[in-house]
Amino acid sequence: MSQDLRTAIVELNRDAVPTLVARRLEAGDDPLEILGDCRAAMTMVGERFQEGEYFLAELLISAELFKEAAALLDPHLGDSDNDKRAGVIVLATMRGDIHDLGKNVFATLLRAHAFEVHDLGVNVEPAHLVDEVQETKPDFVGFSSLITTSFDSTRQAIEMLEDKGLRAGLKLMLGGGVTTPGLAKHLRVDFQTLDASSGVAYCLEEAAGAGA
Amino acid sequence: MANDAMTSDERVWATIRLERPDRTPVIPTLLPEPAAGLAGVSQAEIANDNSAAVAATFDVFDEYGGWDNIYPSSYLPSQLQVTGVFPMRMKIPGRNLADDIPYQLDEVEVMKIEDYDKIADQGFERFFLDEYLGRLTDLTPDDIEGERRSMFDGGALFLAECAKRDIKPFFLANCLHPFFKLSLMRSMVPFTQDLFYEPETVLRALRRMTDDLIPRVVEMAEGVGIPISMLTEERASGFFYSPKIFERFWWPYTVEIVEACWSEDIVSLFHLDTSFDKNMKYFRQLPRGAAILELDGTTDIFAAKEVLRGHLCLKGDVPAALLATGTPEEVESYCRRLISEVGGDGGFILGTGCSVPPNARPENFRAMIETGKQLR
Repeated sequence: MSQDLRTAIVELNRDAVPTLVARRLEAGDDPLEILGDCRAAMTMVGERFQEGEYFLAELLISAELFKEAAALLDPHLGDSDNDKRAGVIVLATMRGDIHDLGKNVFATLLRAHAFEVHDLGVNVEPAHLVDEVQETKPDFVGFSSLITTSFDSTRQAIEMLEDKGLRAGLKLMLGGGVTTPGLAKHLRVDFQTLDASSGVAYCLEEAAGAGA
Repeated sequence: MANDAMTSDERVWATIRLERPDRTPVIPTLLPEPAAGLAGVSQAEIANDNSAAVAATFDVFDEYGGWDNIYPSSYLPSQLQVTGVFPMRMKIPGRNLADDIPYQLDEVEVMKIEDYDKIADQGFERFFLDEYLGRLTDLTPDDIEGERRSMFDGGALFLAECAKRDIKPFFLANCLHPFFKLSLMRSMVPFTQDLFYEPETVLRALRRMTDDLIPRVVEMAEGVGIPISMLTEERASGFFYSPKIFERFWWPYTVEIVEACWSEDIVSLFHLDTSFDKNMKYFRQLPRGAAILELDGTTDIFAAKEVLRGHLCLKGDVPAALLATGTPEEVESYCRRLISEVGGDGGFILGTGCSVPPNARPENFRAMIETGKQLR
């Protein structure tokens, strides 16, 4: 049944996923193990994306399937999943931009890979982001941007993080259709991408490096 | 310019016809939002007053020495909404967004799965007016009529300003690709699920929307006397979807629209956002000279040129981020490369990647315009 659930997610079988999760819960399987299978499936989806077999569409759909499975499992997990988190990330679309499609996909994929995600939403003021960083002490901050009008508030947030001594040890990421390597250099962020899957790969790599 | 051997219109059309112009035409996508930024006018003002939008556009046009053709820029966001150009909820500066932030589309699932059949049965226009528009706005019918009138008045003002300067709009006929329109109305994730799980339902709506769109586009382009029709698509590319999806849900309808327009001597101007790198080869199937591809900086325009050289005109693609955060030297260098490598043998219009950003640096915008106009 473990393999069935993984296959259902990887093959985007919308009808099978909730049925299989429910069946395994009824059978008394460890919810954490079921969640682990869902995460393994998302890793396989990511691999297919990296190989060019899958596209953003498949990432979107599998992310929805994962969310559905996770919602079914959540009441059974308690705090048992918290010890196994891969890292902590704060995400935001900064002031001047209300687009969140890419950010939301990224957040779901990160959760599927056991990251603790603090998603601040859209049109976020720099001071709010800095407060959140102070409070949650993340490993990563991800700035999402579809239009250039959020660049200035992103820059302000980064400067505030630097001024408050919060920048050291923090990996800053920039994603979204309007971002470029040149902009990443301009804003002094550590990583830039147009696709969510690459962002997850970067976080996993950095988290593995930090833990090594 | 004193050394120009062609008029702007001759230059633009020589380029579209894949002949060699006297220099590369320059046509930035200057919409009201960046015009406001460059003219020092608030976003709230141009989002709520047609004459302010037109004034900002022409202030910038005059201040920066002009360019070859101009984008229509007399609309307000609310007018794009009520006329179905952008059938989405919106955040508008001065109303529900701060005065200094440009209007934005609010991506929520307004269209439901059962609405596909209504579109297929009734046609998009009827569904939009009778049912859908009421989900977007609480404007009364009189308000909506007022918005439409103001848009036409703004259009007349825009054309009068063009006439004063003896320049032409690049196009006036304008529509979204049916695929893109449905994606906006359903929102991205549900629409993508529909493509996978309810394909026949989506196809029926696409069929009807395409059938309805073609005569309207031809009528619009012929009615305004400019044989170019813009067709916007921001979500069908290989960045989002596999070739299988592209070939089933986008390409056949696209070919129908382009060929129908071309049979009436109307050129389709594609506004293509996100990377179409994986899709470029398809465009070779279109009739030679029947389309212009406006690329946004995420498609590799240099590679696209190799695929489409001598077949279709390209337009682009000075990136928005470069105009907002780069230096004039960087902008000039990129424009020189574009003109040399993409425009070397014609078939290229220097433009912006998507639109000029609302926070473009004035010196960068000037560098783009002047570099384009000076290089031979």
